[in-house]
Amino acid sequence: MTGPASDAIVVDHLSKQYKKLRAVDDLSFSVRSGRVTGFLGPNGAGKTTTLRMLLGLVTPTSGNATIGGERYTELHEPIKHVGAVLEASSAHRGRTGRNHLRMICRAAGLPDSRADETLELVGLTPAGKRKFKGYSLGMKQRLGIAAAMLGNPRVLILDEPANGLDPEGIRWMRDLLKALAAEGRTVLVSSHLLGEMQVLADDVVIVAAGKLVRQGPVDEVLGSMGTSQVRVRTPQPAELTTALTSLGASATPQADGSLLVSGAEAAAIGHAAFTASVELHELVAERGDLEQVFLQLTAGMAGIR
Amino acid sequence: MNLINAELFKLRTTAIWWIMGIVLLPLYAASVLANWAQFASTNPDQVSDPDQAEQVRAALEPINVATTLYTSGQYFGVLIVLLLSAIIVTSEFFHLTATATFLVTPKRESVILAKFGAAVIVGVLLWLLTTLINLIVVPPIMSNLDLSNQLGEPAVWRAIGLNLLAFVLWAVLGVGLGVLIKNQLAATLILGIVYVVGTSAIGLIFFLLTEYVAQWFENLQVLIPTSASQLMISGTDLPGNPPRWVGAVVLIGYAVVAGFFGTWLTKRRDIS
Repeated sequence: MTGPASDAIVVDHLSKQYKKLRAVDDLSFSVRSGRVTGFLGPNGAGKTTTLRMLLGLVTPTSGNATIGGERYTELHEPIKHVGAVLEASSAHRGRTGRNHLRMICRAAGLPDSRADETLELVGLTPAGKRKFKGYSLGMKQRLGIAAAMLGNPRVLILDEPANGLDPEGIRWMRDLLKALAAEGRTVLVSSHLLGEMQVLADDVVIVAAGKLVRQGPVDEVLGSMGTSQVRVRTPQPAELTTALTSLGASATPQADGSLLVSGAEAAAIGHAAFTASVELHELVAERGDLEQVFLQLTAGMAGIR
Repeated sequence: MNLINAELFKLRTTAIWWIMGIVLLPLYAASVLANWAQFASTNPDQVSDPDQAEQVRAALEPINVATTLYTSGQYFGVLIVLLLSAIIVTSEFFHLTATATFLVTPKRESVILAKFGAAVIVGVLLWLLTTLINLIVVPPIMSNLDLSNQLGEPAVWRAIGLNLLAFVLWAVLGVGLGVLIKNQLAATLILGIVYVVGTSAIGLIFFLLTEYVAQWFENLQVLIPTSASQLMISGTDLPGNPPRWVGAVVLIGYAVVAGFFGTWLTKRRDIS
């Protein structure tokens, strides 16, 4: 399901130079509508700076970032096109959550009723009249999402929205974002929580040290790394290892008594075991997980710059 | 208009407006009483220096007493307007709401203009409040001083009008300075201290310069914003002081410079 092309996000040779630090370095990627795109990178990789440039809050040193072909600052009534959640703690401590939303409604010329509707959407109605300083981190994240949804935007940009959410909150967020993408909206979510992204995202954009490392559908990125291995359990490990070696595969004994085989598909291993009359108790293809891929891709680029 | 509405909404949905109100009321009452006491007890014949005696005599003319009393509370009212206007800007950074604000309105000059508008409205409201109370409490004080209420004098109404101009100009100044001193704590402390202590300190420096360096330094004293706004609302031209319009020009100058520079800076700044 693909939405109109006009909702796509395009980052084009974007760079940001702070005094000594090149926070974002010639970064280009694009984000399609109708899908959830995970924007991944270690802490300090330039994710937040990139999103802030995309939203016109930080001026790029060079390059361009557009949403639906236009810069954010040139959009007419931007929050009706783009909703953004940038930092969970961005509301006045002494103001109620409902008033925080109403304040945005007034500035944007939206009716106050939108504040109540989005509070309902994020399940925050009971806390709407409480002051922001009494909110838990999870409630702050929900308020941020409510603010982003005020203008019913076609494009959503979220910076680390899962931070501080409990497992139930994470699940709620995942379902919401997936549903919004399924409606054809563009959803760009930054995170360093890889496990969560593996479940949530359709596409990933991986950055490290301000540079693009890899971009594509999650499955492709995982597959391309060739980390696929097959876990085999057998009462005759020696015989199987011999059979596999003749196939050109290698088997590594694991602490739990199983063998981890690389260099052969599960079907080939099963066939080799069958012809060598080796009994198998388990034969599982282990998909590479995003975390491994991520660590391999960003090796040596992560850390404090 | 939406944006000014939003700015006023921001102000009245937090505790700051009534905190400032609670601070202002006793200070205002104190300044009315102080003015009253001063006029009730001063006698020009007790002043030895003939120049000063001349000034005191002029200040004690009924019309000048009236303009001072009917604009009572200017000193502290303006201070509160200055601080509130600065906080209208600094609280966005202090409470990290600048992100939300500039996401709704990426054209930052519009946001700053709305803040100028909201601050001016706050200034007008405070002027209205102090002026209304003055119009109620000053006539009895005037009769206590054995003076008529002077409300028929155009000079009184001109002073009240110029007092409004002072409130408005200080509001603009506050927003501009709030942009320049982004840190809320620093802004309130610096503006508060400079306003209260700085005026006397700079006044002392000017006094010393005038006494020991050159007489013409005295004429530059009007460059101090507080002196400028006091000069602006004085009833008649007091001897030894520059004309009133100079005070207005100085204040407008500061407000315009702070306003333009603040807007320019906000447009350039990265919000993070």
